[in-house]
Amino acid sequence: MKEISVELPVEPPVEVKSLFLPVPPGLMEESYKKDELVIFVGPQHGGSGHMRIIVRLKGDVITEAIPDPGYVHRGMEKLAENRLYLQNIPLLERPAIMDCANFNLGYVRAIEKALDIEVPERAEYIRTILAELCRIGTHLYDAGILSVFLGHTTGFMWPFAMREMICEALMRVSGARITASYIVPGGVRRDVGRDVLEYIKEVTFFIERKTKDFEKIFIMNPVTAARLKDVATISKKDAIKYGLVGPFLRACGVEYDTRAVEPYGAYDQLSWDVVVADEGDSYARFLVRVNEIAQSISIIRQAVSILRSMPEGNVISPDIAGKKKKAKKKEEEGEEEEVKGPSDVRGKLYRYYGRLTLPPGEYTTVTEAARGTVLYTIVSDGQSTVPYRLRVVTPGWLYLKGFMESLKGCRLADLQAVYGSFGYFPPEADR
Amino acid sequence: MCYNELLSMFRENLVHIPFLTDKILLFQYGGSAVYGNPLVNVFANVPILNFILAAIFWRPLFAMLFIPGLVAIMLVLGIIIWLERKMTAKVQWRYGPLEVSRPIGGIIQPLADGMRYLFQEVIVHGEAHRPYFLQFPLISFLPVLLPILVIPAGAIYAIRTPYAIPIAIALVALIPIVLIAIGWASNSKYAYIGSMREVFMYFAYEIAMIIAAMAMVVAYGSGDAFVIVQKQSLIPGILINPFACLVFFVATAMATARFPFEIPDADSEVVFGPFVEYTGIIFGVVMTLAYEKLYILSLLLSILFLGGWNGPYIVWLGDLSPAIWLFIKAFVLVVIFVFFRTVYGRYRLDQAVRAGWSSLLALSFVSLGVGVCIASAGWF
Repeated sequence: MKEISVELPVEPPVEVKSLFLPVPPGLMEESYKKDELVIFVGPQHGGSGHMRIIVRLKGDVITEAIPDPGYVHRGMEKLAENRLYLQNIPLLERPAIMDCANFNLGYVRAIEKALDIEVPERAEYIRTILAELCRIGTHLYDAGILSVFLGHTTGFMWPFAMREMICEALMRVSGARITASYIVPGGVRRDVGRDVLEYIKEVTFFIERKTKDFEKIFIMNPVTAARLKDVATISKKDAIKYGLVGPFLRACGVEYDTRAVEPYGAYDQLSWDVVVADEGDSYARFLVRVNEIAQSISIIRQAVSILRSMPEGNVISPDIAGKKKKAKKKEEEGEEEEVKGPSDVRGKLYRYYGRLTLPPGEYTTVTEAARGTVLYTIVSDGQSTVPYRLRVVTPGWLYLKGFMESLKGCRLADLQAVYGSFGYFPPEADR
Repeated sequence: MCYNELLSMFRENLVHIPFLTDKILLFQYGGSAVYGNPLVNVFANVPILNFILAAIFWRPLFAMLFIPGLVAIMLVLGIIIWLERKMTAKVQWRYGPLEVSRPIGGIIQPLADGMRYLFQEVIVHGEAHRPYFLQFPLISFLPVLLPILVIPAGAIYAIRTPYAIPIAIALVALIPIVLIAIGWASNSKYAYIGSMREVFMYFAYEIAMIIAAMAMVVAYGSGDAFVIVQKQSLIPGILINPFACLVFFVATAMATARFPFEIPDADSEVVFGPFVEYTGIIFGVVMTLAYEKLYILSLLLSILFLGGWNGPYIVWLGDLSPAIWLFIKAFVLVVIFVFFRTVYGRYRLDQAVRAGWSSLLALSFVSLGVGVCIASAGWF
């Protein structure tokens, strides 16, 4: 169809200037002159999360999507520079709401790398269970958000109810429902009892059963398939070019999983598959994560059965435990000058880890969180008890570019479907 | 005198409801029975009250005011909003509305919501076209209530005409125009997108819906609801022309923005589309618009396909008996439509429009063919 352009004497309203939009100069003026519409989705929009997406529309088709992230930026990297290594653990699990264990694991492994300490096997398995529980929780959370973005409220409520079981399991393991702060340098905070292991196993059966119901009502629903199939397809080449990570990279046919490539925890001792899909569309991105839930369940069951046959108790590295013993001895002998016994509000862990310093250097770990690779770099000056610099690169930030590029050519209504299929989580990306 | 003429006109055409307008048998003593005055006649000699009472029970006004008119609509609104939330909650492992009136399961929750809306500030933003912005929600009641004039409920009816079904369909088709006008008066980007979606959906379902309704009119040989219902006394229309029923059913879901076609006012995409700028009681009014339209279309659906007011006659209800059967059928249909919320997500606009223009339209032509066949074979 031939396009007719008319010079119209219209200009964007003056308020636009005060918004300080991160758009190329002249974009607003240009779109007002053409038959285009620039709409702002978010940050206060039912389908955007805490991020503004500046969408340039031609008719119903998105020609350009520009992200305006940072509405929930808390400056975690800067905050971390003023906290002890131990105090950073609760801080750094905050970005992703359900993914606490994976985010902790990356940070704690960086410290362990610096101190060069070996983690007991039992602690490795407990860490793996926790990480996989969090992975299931995050995937369920994202499935719920995707459902409600597609208008399917039942698909929203059921995964959130399933997630409740995981919160309960985390509570029984660590005492907290979502922010466990359970993984500490050298091991885990305390051992997991047999009854809790049984409960975790029951949870996996519950989730497996309920996922089947969820599959009937939402995953295999014709409306869901119609909305997600062939929407925002990313080719394998583009996926690598835009730097997609995690399940979204695997949905494009790239078989890359940090758990398999650079195994940590107990992943190399358990049998599991890397879930891959070839389509690269929104439905594949969703299905990969659904199948990852099944893989995680299998990992948890294996780990639980191995843990059952293991002697209880040894969950912290001898290096740290030696420190513990030393501290205890000191306490008994009354040599402790600053801190005193249980009356100290800063608690037991503070006495063991409070004066932790890392040797000078730069320590980087890569961890597979639920939404993709999370990278931690700790720079230590070798003297202070706080990191000199801490770098966190979260998966949300890494795949934001791919997310925005994939939106081009989609329809406006697809924006929410693609958003949900990526499970984009602004607090995670903004840190 | 005008007053007396009107009074006698009303009295000639009163609704026949035994427990209201007949003599009530109070008790029997020996061989003689003692009757109480019928309720209508209690105030027969009181000047103004007798006029009002006679007017209310006058057939046309009764149809407009009570059943299937205003009171029935309000009843549907009051129950269905609560029932929708309660049913959805049941499926989704929740309780639903509970805190307001806990012993009766929170059934007055919509009333409480309405009161909250009433005390909320109605904000008219600077860009809006103020008079139209405030007028259209109220004007919207016009096309909703006018079809009641020609939709009879058994013996309770306002206008009997051989063009009842076409007129009702034509009046219902005015509702989207009000919605589009609402979106235009809002003068906001999301309202604009929502209105455009409404326009596209309007074209997608309206033609198929009209053809399906006309297929049935052709099959029955009349647009008169009385004839239609009388002809369905043995076999309901859904068995005679299931294609037309399917088309009308799907078109109703599209017309009233029910799932999976809740596209014009998709809350996660265009934040309630045309209604995005409305607040307070005005939002309450426009929010109920879709439910009212759903009720009217369900009435038409049950008249055309489910045998209308056919049902066992209940003696003590008199004229109300068929009306209540019609109401029950329409209400069950409304419940089915709102239940889709728990099962489906929403389609994209282009998918719905494609479905409307391809399969729905084709199916409506098939139904028209079936209707013509039935008419020419003279089965009715």
